[in-house]
Amino acid sequence: MSENFNIDDVSNLASIELSEDEKAKLQKDLQIILEHVDALKNIDVKDEKIDIHPLSKVLELRKDESKESLKHEDAMMNSPETKDGHFVVPPSIE
Amino acid sequence: MNLKATIGMETHVELDTKSKMFCSCEVVETDEPNVSVCPTCLGLPGALPVPNKTAIEYIVMLSLGANCKITNEGMFHRKNYFYPDLPKNYQISQFDFPVGVNGSLEIVLDEELHSVEIERVHMEEDTGKSVHMGSGRIDSATSTLLDFNRSGIPLVEVVTKPVISTSKMAVAYIEELRQVVIDLGISKGKLEKGNLRFDANISVADENANELGTKVEIKNMNSLKSLEKAIDYEIMRQSKQVEKGESVIQETRHWDENKQVTVSMRTKEGSADYRYFSDPDLPNMIIDQDFIDNSKKNIQNLPTDKRKTLKESGLSLSDSNYLDKGEKWLYDLYLSTVENTKDSKSTFNFLTGELQGQMRKAEIDELPNWVDSVKLANLINLFETNEVSFTSAKDILTKLLSEDIDPKSYASDNNLIQSSDDEEIKALVTSIIKDNQDIVERLEDPEDKLVGFLVGQVMKSSENKVNPGTVKDILLKELFG
Amino acid sequence: MAKKIPSISKINELFQNKEMKPSELFEQVYETASYTESVLHAHLELFYDEGLKLSKESDNRYSKNESFGLLDGIPIAIKDNINVYGYKTTCSSKMLSNYVSPYDATVISSLKKAGTIFTGKTNLDEFAMGSSTENSAYGPTKNPWNPDFVPGGSSGGSAAVVSAGSAVASLGSDTGGSIRQPASFCGVVGFKPTYGTVSRYGLIAFASSLDQIGPITNTVDDTRIIFNEIQGYDSKDATSITPEYTKLENKKIKVGILKELMQEGVSKESQNEVNKVVTLLKEKGHDVTEISLPLTEMALSVYYLIAPAECSANLSRFDGVRYGIREDASTSYEMMNKTRSVGFGEEVKKRILLGTYALSAGYFDEYYGRALKVRSKIISDFKTAFDKVDFILSPTTPTPAFGFGDKTKNPLEMYLSDLCTIPANLAGLPAISVPTGLSENNLPLSVQIMGKPCSDYSLIDFAESIEEMVEFNFSPNLLKEKNES
Ligand SMILES: [Mg+2]
Ligand SMILES: [Zn+2]
Repeated sequence: MSENFNIDDVSNLASIELSEDEKAKLQKDLQIILEHVDALKNIDVKDEKIDIHPLSKVLELRKDESKESLKHEDAMMNSPETKDGHFVVPPSIE
Repeated sequence: MNLKATIGMETHVELDTKSKMFCSCEVVETDEPNVSVCPTCLGLPGALPVPNKTAIEYIVMLSLGANCKITNEGMFHRKNYFYPDLPKNYQISQFDFPVGVNGSLEIVLDEELHSVEIERVHMEEDTGKSVHMGSGRIDSATSTLLDFNRSGIPLVEVVTKPVISTSKMAVAYIEELRQVVIDLGISKGKLEKGNLRFDANISVADENANELGTKVEIKNMNSLKSLEKAIDYEIMRQSKQVEKGESVIQETRHWDENKQVTVSMRTKEGSADYRYFSDPDLPNMIIDQDFIDNSKKNIQNLPTDKRKTLKESGLSLSDSNYLDKGEKWLYDLYLSTVENTKDSKSTFNFLTGELQGQMRKAEIDELPNWVDSVKLANLINLFETNEVSFTSAKDILTKLLSEDIDPKSYASDNNLIQSSDDEEIKALVTSIIKDNQDIVERLEDPEDKLVGFLVGQVMKSSENKVNPGTVKDILLKELFG
Repeated sequence: MAKKIPSISKINELFQNKEMKPSELFEQVYETASYTESVLHAHLELFYDEGLKLSKESDNRYSKNESFGLLDGIPIAIKDNINVYGYKTTCSSKMLSNYVSPYDATVISSLKKAGTIFTGKTNLDEFAMGSSTENSAYGPTKNPWNPDFVPGGSSGGSAAVVSAGSAVASLGSDTGGSIRQPASFCGVVGFKPTYGTVSRYGLIAFASSLDQIGPITNTVDDTRIIFNEIQGYDSKDATSITPEYTKLENKKIKVGILKELMQEGVSKESQNEVNKVVTLLKEKGHDVTEISLPLTEMALSVYYLIAPAECSANLSRFDGVRYGIREDASTSYEMMNKTRSVGFGEEVKKRILLGTYALSAGYFDEYYGRALKVRSKIISDFKTAFDKVDFILSPTTPTPAFGFGDKTKNPLEMYLSDLCTIPANLAGLPAISVPTGLSENNLPLSVQIMGKPCSDYSLIDFAESIEEMVEFNFSPNLLKEKNES
C-alpha cells in the first residue's frame, strides 16, 4: 500500500514546504516505517469498537458559565505582527 | 429538453449561549478585537477543549424541532484545513455521528405546505474573523487582520437533503429554520448579524434524468434577497451550459453582491481532504434518554404549532405563515384580539396593516401599556359593525397610540358614530335626490356608478356620520323601488 | 561541593528541624547545575532569580512553622513542553524559540500551591518526538553516567538533571516511554501514571490519547509525593478522570513476566535485570508466572500510526499566525508553509507527514482506523491479563543507553528503543521504571512494572519494595568525579 505515498501531496496537505533533499530523505524513511506498519494488515479487527479514551471514559459537559479570559495584552504578547488590537498576517485572499 | 434544478442547503446557526463551545470565554458583541479570548479559543499550545452543556442541549432541541433522530452515542471529530482565522488549523466538528439525523421541516409556499428533508444536524465551533486590508478590492489585499472573539462560538450546522427545487423554496426553508431557532430560544436568529449563514449546493439536470447534475456550491450570501438572486442566477448559468451540452465544473462559487453574479473562487490546488478523525481530546459523547427528555421540556410552540393555531382562528395559510414569522408580540396580540372580534381576516389586516404601519410612522416599536387586545378588538368591532367609518377608525387608532382613550367613548364624544337611523337617513336621501335631479335622470340601473356618487353626496351632507351601507339601501329603494 | 541529594521526606525533615533552609538547598542545586550544565546541557533555561526569591519565601514559612507540606521549598525541574506563566516554552523547537506562555499548566498551578520551587526548563526531543534528546533544536543533552551516551528521550533533560543533582526531581511527559526510557538510561525512577489521572492542560500535546505527565525522581517515595500532588480530576481536561485508586489487599503478589518482552529484540543484559528481580520476588514469597500477550508485537506499529496521526493535527496550530517564529511571504498560505518548513526539525516533519498520510482520504481505514481497532484489542488483552496477575514485569528498555548517532540512520532502530514502554501508553496503564543495576559498560539498567488502570498507588508501593530489594546505590561518574576532586 505504501507505493501510493506521494510526498508532494502529503507535504501540501500538511502545509510544510520541503526542499528536494528533504523530500528524498523523508520519502526513504517514511517508506521504511510504512512497510513496518503493514504488519497490522494481518490482524482481524472486524468487530472492534473504537473508544476514544483508553479507559472508556464518557464525555462530561461543562456548565455554560463565562469566566475571565486572557488579558488582551497577554493574548497578543506573542503575536509576530499586531495592528489595532488585531493579529496581522499576509493576505489570506489572493 | 426540460431542465430541473436541485438544491441542498447547508446552514450554520450561531447558538445564543453565555460562553463559547469549548472554553469559558464570554460570547460578546463588540468591535474591540481579541478581548474575549483564552488559550483554548486562540489555539495556544497546551490548551484543551471542554464542551458546553447548554450548547449540546440546544442542538438536541434543534434536532428534535427538526424532527430528527438523536444519535445517542456520538463523538467529536477534527476537520483539518489550514486557514489563518482557524486557530488550531482544525475545526472541532462532527463527522459520522452527528447529533441529529433524518429529520424534516414543514415550510409554507403561498397557500401550500411542503416538507424539506433534513439530512443531519451537527455541532461545531466558529472561526475567527478576517478583515482584508488593501485598496478596497479584495483581490488587491495587502494584509489580513484577525480577531478571535468569534473563535469557538458554538455553531450548529443543519444540512438538507437535495430536495429544494426553487429559490423561493430555499428562502421559505431558511425563514422556517430561522423561526424554529428563535422559537426554541437557542439563537438570536439575526441574519444581518451572521447568526444564520447559509451555503447552497445547486445542480441542474434533465428532468427525466436519474442522476443529479454536477454540484456547485455557492457561498457568501448574506441575506434572503441575495440567496434568492444567487440561486436564480446560478440555475440560469448552469442551465445555459447544460443546454449547450457543456459540462458544469464542480466548484465553489461566490455570490458577488455588486455585480449580481456568482464567481468562481480560486481555491488552493488539489481538492479538499479534511482528514476527519475522532478528536482524542474529547471522549465519546453519550446523549441518553434523560438528557433528551430534559431538552424536550424546553420546547414549546414551534412555528408549525403556531401556524396550526392561527389557521384554526380562521386565517389562510399564507396569512398564518406571515404572523408565524413575525414578531412574537404581534402573534400574541392577534390571538388575544381575535377572540373578541368577529372577523379574523379584518383583525389580521388591521393589526398587520394599520397598527404596524402607524407604529412604524410614529417610530415606536412597542405598544403603549394602555393599548391592549380588548381596546383594539373594540376598535375593530366599531368599524366592522359600521358604527364608525374605517377612516374614523384609523383616526381613533392614532389617538389611542398617543393617549389612553376608550375607542367607543372617544368615537361618541367626537361625533364619529355613524347613524343608522332610517328616518334621518331617508330625509337626507330625499334631499340629495331633489338637489341632483339631472343625475337621477341619467341613472339606468342599480349597478350604475352614479349610485356611488349619490351615496357619497349623502355621506358628505351628513359629515360622514351615517352608515354608508344603510344609505345605499335606502337610496336604491327610493330610486328603483 | 555537590552532595548526593536526600529524598524529599528527608529534606522536609531537615527543613522542619531547621537543619537546612530551602534557599540553601536551592543554592546547592544551582551550584551543581552551574558545573554540570556545561557538560550535560540538560536545562534550557534556569530560573535563578525567581527561584531564589521563592525559596526565601519558603524559608520564611518554615521558620514560622507554616510550611505548605512535603513539597514546600523543593527544587523541581520542568520539561520544556509544560507551560509556566511568564516563561518560554520552546518544546526544544525553533518554531517556539520566542514563545512565552501566558498561562500555567494545571500541574504547574498545583506545584506552585504546594510551595515547589522551579529550577528551570529542561531539554527534550523537539515536541517530545524522539528517544535520545538528539532531536532538540538547541543541541543534545548528555548522559550524566557517561557523556558519550544519550540520556534517552524525549524527557532526556528531565532525567539528566535528577541524575546529576541539579534538581531534586523533575516533571516529564510520556507518550511512548518518554519518562521511563530516559529515567532508565540515567539510573533514576520514572513514572507514567494512569491516563487521565494527571491533567494534560498546559502540556503541549504530542499525541493526546497517549500523553501523560509524570515525575522523574531519585526514589520511589519521591515519585509518590509528587504524583500525589499533581494527580486528580481537572475540569479543564475532558480526558481527565476522577480516579478511584485500587488497593492491594493480599500480601502475596501475583507478578506476570511478559514473554514477548523477554525474547529476541531485548538484550540479555536487560533480560537479566528482570530475572534478578524475579529471584528476589520469589525469595519474598511472591507468585511469579510467565504471561503472553501476542499483540504486544504489534504495539510499535499501532503506536507509529496513532501518535503521528494525532500529532499531525496537534502541531497544525504552529503556523506563524499568532505566536512563534514567522517567515516572510506574500500570502498567508505561503507564510504558513515556509514557517513550518523552517520551524520544524526533520523528525517532527517526518511524523507530521506520516500522520497526515495515515489520515488522508483513501488510507484512513487501512492505517489510522485499523490501528485504533488493534489498539482496542491490545487494551482488552491487558484487561484479561490483569484478571490473573496484579502487576506485569518487564525490562524498561531493550538495551542500556546507546551512543550519540548510533540510531539516527534508520528510523526503526530508534523507534525500537521504546518497544517495552509503548504498550502501557496504548492501554492507558500506569507504569514505573526502577533502576536495578549497571551494564557491562557501567550504564544503568532498570525494570518496568505495569499495573492495571488506577492501581497507581499500589504500583508505587510494589515498586518501592523492589527498590528496597535491589539496593541500587550507584551514582553517575559526573557526581563521583566532582565529589572526589
Ligand atoms: Mg461546517
Ligand atoms: Zn476562549
